[in-house]
Amino acid sequence: MRKSALGFISIFIFVLSFSLVYSAEKSPYKIGVNFELTGPWAEITKTLRNAMVLEVERINQRGGINGKPLELIFEDNGFEAGRAAANMTKFTKDPEVLLVVGPFEDTLQATTRAIAEREKITNIIVCPSNRVLREMKQRWGFNIAHNDIIVSEKLVELSLARKYKKVLVFHAAHPLAQTLAEYYKRFGEEKGLKVFISPETHKHTDIDMTPQLIKMKPLIEKEKIDAFYACTSGPPGPIVCKNLRALGMKLPILGTHAFGFGFIIALGGEAMEGVEFPGAKPVVYDQLDENDPAKSINIEFDKRWRERYGTPSDQIAGYGHDIIGLIEDSIKRVKGKVTRGTFRDALENTKGFKGTHGLYSFSPTEHDGLSKKDLVFVRIEGGKFKRIRFPGFE
Amino acid sequence: MVEPVHQDFRKREILYSLALWLLSLILPDPQLHYRREYGLRWRDLFYLLAILLLPLLFSDPHFHHLMVLAGIHGILALGLTLFLGYGGQISLGHAAFFGIGTYTTAILTTRHGWPPFLAFWASGMVASLFAYLIGKPLLKLKGYFLALATLGFGEIFLVLIKESASLTGGVIGIFGIPWFSIAGLVFDTYLKQYYLVWIVLIGLVLFTKNLIRSKVGRAYMAVATSEDAASSVGIHVSRIKLEAFMVGAFYAGLAGSLFACVMSTATPETFSLNLSVLIVMMVILGGMGNLYGPIVGAIFLTWLIDTLAQYQDYSLPLYGVILILLLIFFPDGMGTRLRVRLIYLISYWGRKKRREKVNL
Amino acid sequence: MELLQIIPQFFVSGLTFGAIYSLVALGFVTIARASQIINFAQGEFVMLGGMVTFFFIKSVRLPYLLSAFLAIGVVIGLGFLLHLLVIYPLRKASLPILLLATLGASLFLSSSSALFFGTLPKALPPFSGKDLIEIGGVSLSAQSLFVLIATFFVLFLLYLLSHHTHLGKAMEASSTDPLGADLCGISRHLMTFLAFGVSSGIGALAGIFITPLFYVSYHSGTLIGLKGFISAVIGGWGKYGGAILGGFILGVAESLSIAFIPAGYKDGVAFLILLLILYFRPKGILGSPFIDSRRW
Repeated sequence: MRKSALGFISIFIFVLSFSLVYSAEKSPYKIGVNFELTGPWAEITKTLRNAMVLEVERINQRGGINGKPLELIFEDNGFEAGRAAANMTKFTKDPEVLLVVGPFEDTLQATTRAIAEREKITNIIVCPSNRVLREMKQRWGFNIAHNDIIVSEKLVELSLARKYKKVLVFHAAHPLAQTLAEYYKRFGEEKGLKVFISPETHKHTDIDMTPQLIKMKPLIEKEKIDAFYACTSGPPGPIVCKNLRALGMKLPILGTHAFGFGFIIALGGEAMEGVEFPGAKPVVYDQLDENDPAKSINIEFDKRWRERYGTPSDQIAGYGHDIIGLIEDSIKRVKGKVTRGTFRDALENTKGFKGTHGLYSFSPTEHDGLSKKDLVFVRIEGGKFKRIRFPGFE
Repeated sequence: MVEPVHQDFRKREILYSLALWLLSLILPDPQLHYRREYGLRWRDLFYLLAILLLPLLFSDPHFHHLMVLAGIHGILALGLTLFLGYGGQISLGHAAFFGIGTYTTAILTTRHGWPPFLAFWASGMVASLFAYLIGKPLLKLKGYFLALATLGFGEIFLVLIKESASLTGGVIGIFGIPWFSIAGLVFDTYLKQYYLVWIVLIGLVLFTKNLIRSKVGRAYMAVATSEDAASSVGIHVSRIKLEAFMVGAFYAGLAGSLFACVMSTATPETFSLNLSVLIVMMVILGGMGNLYGPIVGAIFLTWLIDTLAQYQDYSLPLYGVILILLLIFFPDGMGTRLRVRLIYLISYWGRKKRREKVNL
Repeated sequence: MELLQIIPQFFVSGLTFGAIYSLVALGFVTIARASQIINFAQGEFVMLGGMVTFFFIKSVRLPYLLSAFLAIGVVIGLGFLLHLLVIYPLRKASLPILLLATLGASLFLSSSSALFFGTLPKALPPFSGKDLIEIGGVSLSAQSLFVLIATFFVLFLLYLLSHHTHLGKAMEASSTDPLGADLCGISRHLMTFLAFGVSSGIGALAGIFITPLFYVSYHSGTLIGLKGFISAVIGGWGKYGGAILGGFILGVAESLSIAFIPAGYKDGVAFLILLLILYFRPKGILGSPFIDSRRW
């Protein structure tokens, strides 16, 4: 026996075990979930997973939808495009999977959307869409996060409310940040703001942005910039704030909606005081208006979440809750047999579904669920998120 | 007198040496170390049939996808095995050539409309061109220094790809790469891609077999054994090393082109140090100094990573532990220890039989 | 010109980074001086220093100083474990295998850290609050000064160790001439074992000093380890002075280069310097000009 033959025999055995695993099972509405369960976003996707599991259990305890329970199938794509594609293909080839809840990260959504379009299966994506994808007008991809247009519009309103005249934008090197910066500039200059987009960029994984900020310092001093827009998400956000303050620059900082997490404050420490950004409603749900339907949904969801998991919920858990809610709502509205096609049509006709984040509405021309009304102004004070209001800007 | 006898003797000598020379062309030289590699045997036919028939037995698309990936890794490992397996020189930047191949195909097919078949060969050429440029200064280093230099080159390549957004699409990469197609036959399902990749691999295996038994291959093994001795026999050491490096890069470029056509996207994160380490692992685990070994190593590691993915959080720590364990217990490749044990067992049984016969 | 005004600031931030890289490089050099092994997991020790300290502060609620000491102890223990479980079994293995084994260990350490401590980044408070020191238009945080002090302190300790103690000389002997060291009764494996402990301790110390400047997360070890290794190679392989020199050269060159080219190429600059040094003077600036000599 040679080693190669041994190798092949072991391959046979392993492959056999494969085919056993993939034997078909008889079960109800299946939802494929393609998340980055390992990798830098693992904790966030875990929150998403916990939220979805919580909601699905609640629905199943009530008897499911039309008498059939929901089932979630989780696959990890490890933040790699190849595995995301493989997971999508695996889900599409399983005839019982109704839709795929797509990746959490922007870099992977192009791949999964392309496969969803080709195989005709609904792909609900958690991260915001970007302009390139929107222009492709795909029928099967839906985004539930606040997209760059509404975030930029809200931020322009914030800048106007604070009476900033000149703003410097420092954005990350990925497409979402770039489009955020571009929309901010376009909308801002329509309203009379002067917006400078710095040629310096930074990467998602950078741990120190001081060099870029040093290069921007002369511009800030010369033009007397009023505010600094840290157009980024994740750890670079608080790092930029820390670096700015360490360089002795005291100008006010604006952030994106991605600043609405507890770990951002923990990471930035004192540098985060006074940072303002357009936040999602769950971030400050206890400070929402009384007549806002999102407030009661958030309070109720948070109670359930605390009972089950013991920690406070956040906007990510809110997304998980909303996804399942949207799915349930769409399935209920399907007249006749629930197939991938009918599900997609029902989802596309969602109007005013009440979720923790606000009201979701889709239409054939609009595949982003949330609108500008679903963002609120948030300021970080005393290490906590505080909602601020400006008269005339709601 | 002495003269006529000498003349006859010389004629016989010449005739014998001519006959021997003709024979040597056909028969493998028994003195050579790696003689298992020479010539085709029955087991090669068995492997060939197994590879060709396997996807028909298991028609699960996930299996196909996995084997396509394994085949691409196999091509990569095959390319590296010349440099690392036979030569013992470490290259931690091989993923860069893979990336060069992928991006070349991506750019040529999406921006300039080249047919994928031409882009396939072009990728290999571009990758070996880069290997030439990089190898010329670097290959005079040895050991840790060479490893470090290739690592440095790999990282520089990654940074350049991420930064030149106009050429390579920066961090997003390029997407929309068309399927591989030859004269109208489009490889768009995993099954067809499986055959594409594995037929390319088989072709490359045959080519490499031939390369190793040729003068170039033997020269390379001579260099690996002792550079001074090889150069004293007239082998141009640095040129041979560079050639091996370029051939490895050529294979990697081809693999990259196939990868681009299978994934239809090219992203920079794929070509990181992790991939280079993975390829080196495949060669080492498969067995250094072996042709089929790295391919088996490729299949094994690709399958291993996929299985471990089920354990989500624990996948990477487990992977690290398994790697270390494999390195400790199978430093010569996975087959050797097992083979030695089996041969020992079989020969023990044979010896026992003989002893019993004698005792009778 | 604007550029000239901001160069001093770049220089200062370059010095900070230089101190960081030097600290990490010292860890590499310690092991290399004892055993000719390159420990690719060195960066993970730096990361673990910061992570474990954070864990002790937040989850076990110990005071900062005590957490730091405990963390250093834990990481030294991990260094010993690494030697026993990975390096010792492979003591007879060839170069590629050792390389891959330490890379595998580095992967294991970083992903286990993600498992135990979570994948979100963690921050440590600076040692002395948020003071900012302004000298002539250039801002420097107090933490950077601490890192500089730590670097020279560790250098001093290592110098004492290798030149003025029996143990240090034994370590050096076992790497230069293993057979001779064996004949003198020096146990090579014990020396390597101790060297791993020392270098992981240095790494943990580096981590604790560095983390307050930025943050620590499970993947921050890899790049820092690589840059530290590059510094050790650039400055002069196997020499403590070389590690420091290489670290500062790398840090300052990186920072200054950003003044002239887009910031994304920063990592590329480090590797470019590496390739240049390897091409022209492979053993580093302070190292010997001969690549094949056994002595440094």
